Amino acid sequence: MKNAAMRAPHTLFLEHLLDGNKPDAARIIHELVTENIPIKNIYEKVIKPALYQVGDLWEQNRVTVAEEHTATVIAESIMNELYPSIIAGAMSFPGKVVVGCVEGELHQVGAKMVADMFELRGWDTWFPGSNIPTSELVRYIRKIEPDVTALSVSIYFHLPALENMILEIRAVFPEMPLLIGGQAFRHGGREIISRFNRLTFISDLEELEIYINSYPHDNTRPD
Amino acid sequence: MTTQDLIDSAGVLGPFNDPLPAQYEKQLARMTTMVNERMSSREDIHDLLGGASLALMKDNHANHGRFIASILTNFHAGVLVETILWVFRTYKSRGISSAYWAAQMNAWHEVIEEVLSPEDAAGILPLYQWIQVNIPLFDKLAMEALPQQHSNH
Repeated sequence: MKNAAMRAPHTLFLEHLLDGNKPDAARIIHELVTENIPIKNIYEKVIKPALYQVGDLWEQNRVTVAEEHTATVIAESIMNELYPSIIAGAMSFPGKVVVGCVEGELHQVGAKMVADMFELRGWDTWFPGSNIPTSELVRYIRKIEPDVTALSVSIYFHLPALENMILEIRAVFPEMPLLIGGQAFRHGGREIISRFNRLTFISDLEELEIYINSYPHDNTRPD
Repeated sequence: MTTQDLIDSAGVLGPFNDPLPAQYEKQLARMTTMVNERMSSREDIHDLLGGASLALMKDNHANHGRFIASILTNFHAGVLVETILWVFRTYKSRGISSAYWAAQMNAWHEVIEEVLSPEDAAGILPLYQWIQVNIPLFDKLAMEALPQQHSNH
């Protein structure tokens, strides 16, 4: 039943995104929030599939670059409108996380979803967003000293940048838990996990929620 | 042949050992410029592009170089095949002809032979030869995946 309820809003939401109709797109999402649909489900079942379909339509040349960008910007701005709901329901947790995208990676909506999920669980969250130069991210991590760092990669040929970023983080923080994910991994590339310690691949927000919920409350780092 | 057949045949191409990935990446900007010049100067380039712009073509060449550099560093047959199929679908839906891919691969082949050492070229060209040989299959599989009303050539 819950999946059936999600399908209709996703279809309408997609239509509004493609029309560049932010007010009606926002109305759909805010109605779901009013109905107490969890933010995780709104992200995973409505916004994410809608944006994936926008990407597919762009691939088929059925939407233009401008339409695709408009859809993404609308979705992200609506996600920003959910922030009061995110922090209103947040638990408190003595954890810090930095969430960002690898150098050269411009797609940040998925990473933003990850950041919001951590914030929902009460973590102090820093989200520098897209295309962070590797040296700048390492400097940022030195300053913040997070308990976990999460890195997003949407485009396959940014995977070497991910590996480089992991190497540079590891040089300074050899034991920091690192999470990686994103569309770049949909056809493979996960073997990178075997080359580094404390590196976890997260395939969706369900897995992320499990990871966050299982993080030790005494803040000892998991193996 | 299917996508899985392509993935199986690609499996023997890698992995690629040092210093090949670094050498390719080191010369990539120069090689991309050379490929752009050769393709742009073709008399038939606008027929090959089917109405798509030279800017789109150059974007494709830049993305191609970055992609191959990634494959040389982290070889994965499934990623290689699925990404090439995605590229074929994306550019095909924008009017680029099947003949463009053969012309582009020929250009990269020539440039790699001219720029890289004979040893490095010999290490990388089997990958390009594999792509060239399988262009008709990539084209066919991409056509099958596109909605009918957007099929080209």
